[in-house]
Amino acid sequence: MSAFSTIAEVTLRALLGRRRTILLLLLAGLPVIVGVLSRIGGGRLDAAPILDGMVVRLVLPLTALVFGTAALGSELDDGTAVYILLKPIPRWQVVVAKVAVAGLLSAGLVVGSCLLTGILAGGLGPNALGTTFGVALATGIAAFAYTALFLAASAVTGRALIFGLIYTLIWEGVLAGILEATKTISIREATLGLASALAPSGSEIPTGLNPSQAVLLLGIVLVGGVFVASVRLAGFEVRGTE
Amino acid sequence: MTTPTPGLPEASVAPSPEAPRGPISLEHVSRWYGNVVAINDISLSLGAGVTGLLGPNGAGKSTLLHMMAGLLRPSAGRLLVLGAAPWRTPEIYRRVGLVPEREAVHSFLSGREFVAMNARLQGLPDPDEAAARTLGIVDLLDAADRPVGTYSKGMRQRVKVAAALVHDPPILLLDEPFNGMDPRQRLHMIGLLRRMAAQGRTILFSSHILEEVERLADSILVVYAGRLAASGNFREIRRLMTDRPHTFTVRSSDDRRLAARLVEDSAVFGIDLAAGRLSVSSSDFGAFTRLLPRIARDASISLYEMLPTDESLESVFAYLVRR
Repeated sequence: MSAFSTIAEVTLRALLGRRRTILLLLLAGLPVIVGVLSRIGGGRLDAAPILDGMVVRLVLPLTALVFGTAALGSELDDGTAVYILLKPIPRWQVVVAKVAVAGLLSAGLVVGSCLLTGILAGGLGPNALGTTFGVALATGIAAFAYTALFLAASAVTGRALIFGLIYTLIWEGVLAGILEATKTISIREATLGLASALAPSGSEIPTGLNPSQAVLLLGIVLVGGVFVASVRLAGFEVRGTE
Repeated sequence: MTTPTPGLPEASVAPSPEAPRGPISLEHVSRWYGNVVAINDISLSLGAGVTGLLGPNGAGKSTLLHMMAGLLRPSAGRLLVLGAAPWRTPEIYRRVGLVPEREAVHSFLSGREFVAMNARLQGLPDPDEAAARTLGIVDLLDAADRPVGTYSKGMRQRVKVAAALVHDPPILLLDEPFNGMDPRQRLHMIGLLRRMAAQGRTILFSSHILEEVERLADSILVVYAGRLAASGNFREIRRLMTDRPHTFTVRSSDDRRLAARLVEDSAVFGIDLAAGRLSVSSSDFGAFTRLLPRIARDASISLYEMLPTDESLESVFAYLVRR
């Protein structure tokens, strides 16, 4: 598996560029700051609204969008992908290595943000901790699904970032409130469903999809994303020759 | 030119039975993008040695190389590299190396890491040793531990060549390899490619500069507007290019009298005195350049200037296609 670890290592180093890392740390720090402010302001000891409103709705999809589109898309854009594609390696291995690395980075950042926010805003009571850990685990799993989706988008189109923003802001954001049916294919609703199932009863995490639907959807998106990206890469053609 | 090529054993380029015509063969290959035809019905066969792919920018050179490297699917026709259709055949890359035209490399890696990455992805048993050996071949060992992002254009070009060579492929494709190189680096690269060809490799490189091709290639392919305009031995094609009808503008102390004398010679087939300047068409470049000074001297006419009017490579290619 030397090829796999080589691709993983190069992808990791590419993703940890200084500007991108600072930007994402700032993003992941936002809910933490809000959590601290809410405690200083003497607000109620409850992390659920911040975890739902900021971590699940904002930090999770945006982090996965940045890592997911950069892991493969930026190499396809600048042409460096040929150094990895012109090798005797099945292309699905390239995709799996990149989804694994980008997913781990997204999950790490989101789970970290979630734990800090939850503990700072919700305290260390058993119920509060249960909620925090539940949401952290759910977002950690969902990060891989989001990453796979956005990485597949970057293998299909050069405008994956726009696709990702439209999906996150319009489909999961605006339409979910208007058309109830869109919620059944929403990674956000699946994340919330999984989180509320993992959190102790009585937590104020919105229920979202039921747990089995949620796991099914996340699994389909993850496997489907890897599949679509692999098929696209297997039939890869350079963009814009002459 | 003095760097030896240690560790580059004789490459095996014995064609497989499916490709009796050579390691790379194209039969009526075309490629189009929507309505735009990039490559139009090209058939050719390449054997060992250095072949230059010559043509102006936009002629289809990169498209042709990308199809051979499996980065583009031919829209029609049959293209075989070592007996296999390269598109969707990653296994081919064990025996093919491509140096792409685009400059971008993983700029955060050092030269050594970049070449070693290519060696690992090739599954070589000792990637670090292979990287060091190849960096030596392209004369980059001194800068091997600097990030590629700090390299000059010529150094980038060489690190790309090292990446394509690291697995010692019998087929090497290079897209505009001399871009951005200074004369010394060009000489070094020409020497390197010649030595590799002498070991039996099939090397194809593209260029839009005639002199580069002349200095390096044993045979050439001329591509113009997606068509194969000429192919074969360099001297023959050079002759085709120089023996085509040439037009010159001439300025002298007495254009009218010079014109009268010139028209008597069979090497001249057209004279135009319009707009106050003398324009002469000749069918034989060499003969005309010897003829003109002689006639001028015999008639005691002073020559001020003689300019070929259509010497752009573009017009040379256009002529070869029309021929």
